[in-house]
Amino acid sequence: MGSITYYDLRHVTGQITHIDIDNGIFESAGTTFFNKAVLRVISNTGWGVLQIDNYQPRTGKKFDELLQKACTLSSITQEKVNLGDVSRGALAVPVMKEDPRSVSIEEKSAILAEIEKGAIHPSVVNRRANYIERIEQVEFSDSSGNEYAYEMCRSGFNVLAVASRNGNTQMGYEREHSIHGFNLRHHQDLGKKAADIAVALLDAKGAHGGKMKAILDPELAGVFAHEAVGHASEGDLIQEGNSVLKGKTGQKIGNELLTIVDDPGIHEFGFDPIDAEGVAVRRTEIIKNGIVNAFLHNRESLAAVGNGMAGHARGMPGEPPLVRMSNTFIEAGDATDSEIFEECKNGIFLKGSRGGQVDPGRGVFQFNAEYGYLVKNGECTGMVRDVSISGDILTTLHNIALCGNNRKMSPGYCGKGGQSVPVSDGAPTVLLCDAVVGGSGMD
Amino acid sequence: MRWWAAVEWIDQLIQKGLKCVDEVEVFYVVGRSISADLKQKKINLASASEDCGLGIRTIHKGRIGSSSTNDPHKWSECLDAAVASGHLATSLPWDGLPGAQAISHAPLTFDPTMKVEPASALALLEQMLEGAEEHAAEVTAGSAGLSTATVTLANSSGVHYTDSHTGVSLSLEAIHEQSTGSEFDHSSFMDKVDPFHVGERATFFAHESAGGKEISTGNYEILLSPIAYAELLGSVFIPALNGRNVHAGRSKFAQSLGEKVTDPLLSMYDDPLLPGASGSVSWDAEGMPTHRVDFIREGVLGAFAYDLKTAYRYGKTSTSSAVRGGYGGSPGIGHHNFVVDGKRSTIEDERVVYVHSVVGAHTANPMSGEFSVELSNAFWMEGGEFQEPIRSAMLSGNVFSMHNEIIGISPESRSLGSLILPSVKINKQRIIGK
Repeated sequence: MGSITYYDLRHVTGQITHIDIDNGIFESAGTTFFNKAVLRVISNTGWGVLQIDNYQPRTGKKFDELLQKACTLSSITQEKVNLGDVSRGALAVPVMKEDPRSVSIEEKSAILAEIEKGAIHPSVVNRRANYIERIEQVEFSDSSGNEYAYEMCRSGFNVLAVASRNGNTQMGYEREHSIHGFNLRHHQDLGKKAADIAVALLDAKGAHGGKMKAILDPELAGVFAHEAVGHASEGDLIQEGNSVLKGKTGQKIGNELLTIVDDPGIHEFGFDPIDAEGVAVRRTEIIKNGIVNAFLHNRESLAAVGNGMAGHARGMPGEPPLVRMSNTFIEAGDATDSEIFEECKNGIFLKGSRGGQVDPGRGVFQFNAEYGYLVKNGECTGMVRDVSISGDILTTLHNIALCGNNRKMSPGYCGKGGQSVPVSDGAPTVLLCDAVVGGSGMD
Repeated sequence: MRWWAAVEWIDQLIQKGLKCVDEVEVFYVVGRSISADLKQKKINLASASEDCGLGIRTIHKGRIGSSSTNDPHKWSECLDAAVASGHLATSLPWDGLPGAQAISHAPLTFDPTMKVEPASALALLEQMLEGAEEHAAEVTAGSAGLSTATVTLANSSGVHYTDSHTGVSLSLEAIHEQSTGSEFDHSSFMDKVDPFHVGERATFFAHESAGGKEISTGNYEILLSPIAYAELLGSVFIPALNGRNVHAGRSKFAQSLGEKVTDPLLSMYDDPLLPGASGSVSWDAEGMPTHRVDFIREGVLGAFAYDLKTAYRYGKTSTSSAVRGGYGGSPGIGHHNFVVDGKRSTIEDERVVYVHSVVGAHTANPMSGEFSVELSNAFWMEGGEFQEPIRSAMLSGNVFSMHNEIIGISPESRSLGSLILPSVKINKQRIIGK
């Protein structure tokens, strides 16, 4: 095994507790357990990776056998992998205000049921509420003697209300997820909010498609930052030649009031105390005053591409880490909401999101708003539903005309390469000119 | 049998469980897989996984509990967690797990010739790269994977079934200037994937989509490829056929049984026993013998999909539609091989907008069916030939009402995971140009 130049082992054990209430019925509730590890080796050329379910820590000869297995796998690799030099050190995991483990599942169920009951309304035909709590114990060690261990708990809930009238079916969906501990208490209003939105959407109209001014609320503008810029700045995609931002460092691609950041170190839902390669996490300013400034990297893409910072490697338990976003946001500007609506004058105000998608090589992205309002003379008027916006990474950012002073982060999950990781996105309210809005409204 | 000896704890688990609950069900999977990933044209990473998972379901006086673990040595703790979980569930009508039945145990999705070894992945990648050479585009990434798994389902009514599966998956991504293309394939059988074709199509779409022209906003006849159709169908239409969604009020089709819901040209069914298809299985995730389910016959909605839990609850019969997404949690309602079929015809003669895939299908509204997505690899097509590429546009519509505007389905179908779909030609769809 003399040819092994690097290895690391990331072992995650944990438990997931869930509660599912559907129209007042406790469909399921309980706890499941998992134990997964991933061992990565570089020998001669590229990576040999072992993904192991039910990993039992081992040392000496038994560990060497695993290294040898991974080494054998790497023998088919053809590309020499180099790892960039990085900073070390872990942040403290924030102390939870209330540890969910100290609350019985019966009490959790009772509180969730109150939230679900909040969605009762004569026009609501289905209510559903889910609670999820995921506790992970992470242990990492590598061939350079770096070691760390930490425990993270993420918990939260979703509540869905479906309203129906004369064959028209609409939904309202609210969610809260947190790294700060048990967060079910004092949210009974969110069931009602989901119901109110679902019912209001029964009378909303489909938007007319076309180019217009769009005001994006902080949640939606956060999804915009994630899709329009975040993915295309991931170092592995740059390395593969699959991003329009490749070679664009130092170029202006947006309005100078625009700064977009990814920071795994802030205490939002995408927080990591240290990344999945044992690298210290840091704030990376992807776009600074409209200029492409830095890419998100793992150690491999840092060495291959440069222009950015490592510390952005993340992986699901047992999966090899990829370059991922964590907490991605547009920095706040100084515009007030009334200035933004005044400047918009006529257009559309869009709220909430079911997510989006990007083709980073082509530079085209799409993201969706749950609902919105037509803006006429600077005032919100009729409600519209199911509006999407598509854009072009290299041109759309120039059209951000105003950034509000009210940045807010929203939790979610992001998928890439078959792996889903917790993230948060955020922004202030943003005014986007010449937005390409998709909608099938015809009247 | 060695296998039997290796899992004798399953019987112990069931016996222990029966001391405190009416019924016990055990799902156990062990498998391994190999994959290799390309960064551009070179293999950068080779990985192997050893997977193991145990899912337990207990039923006591109509209360269903479940738990899972990937440490089978901890089956006893897992059983306790399942029983505890059952205490929290609401009691619902329940009429028992199925007993053992005389069904064929010949494996339907197992290829004894498949070698789950790095050399197999290497050979597949080489063939994909060879295919990619057919067109001038750069390969950005790719992957080849092989897997095998053995699944055991046992319950306290006497079911003790095992089945083996194999799988091969391929994908390749390419770029030419600022135009991307990708292709993929998956099958249970080595001789049913075509790595050369995957490589060739990926660089074809990257190369041919470059230099696209704008399209003006308006209504167009469109041709959705099986990929684009699968993206829209899978996230909206198929969940509306799920019996649980129907009875819970989460389905557009809740009141539509017996009514016309698509153009009469179309039929949709689940055929779990289709030879060679990836989703084929002779018993479902609850041990029910599988059979064909006709959801839509010539446009008329005839059935919804049920598992045992939903069927007992609403006085229906299981359609053997229980599936598991893994070993965790409880089985849910799904399908095995979902087929869209009907009268086939040549649909590529007249000038249409061909849509290869879409960006953002998952943002479609699953209740109302409304969507607006960005097009990917869209072309004008005439006489079956790709003509000018379309640079960028959005497609807006409603997945449900779109099915009343389908005016033709292609002679060929394509397997996309558990979906087997033709290309579909659709009238009057809204395209928003830029």
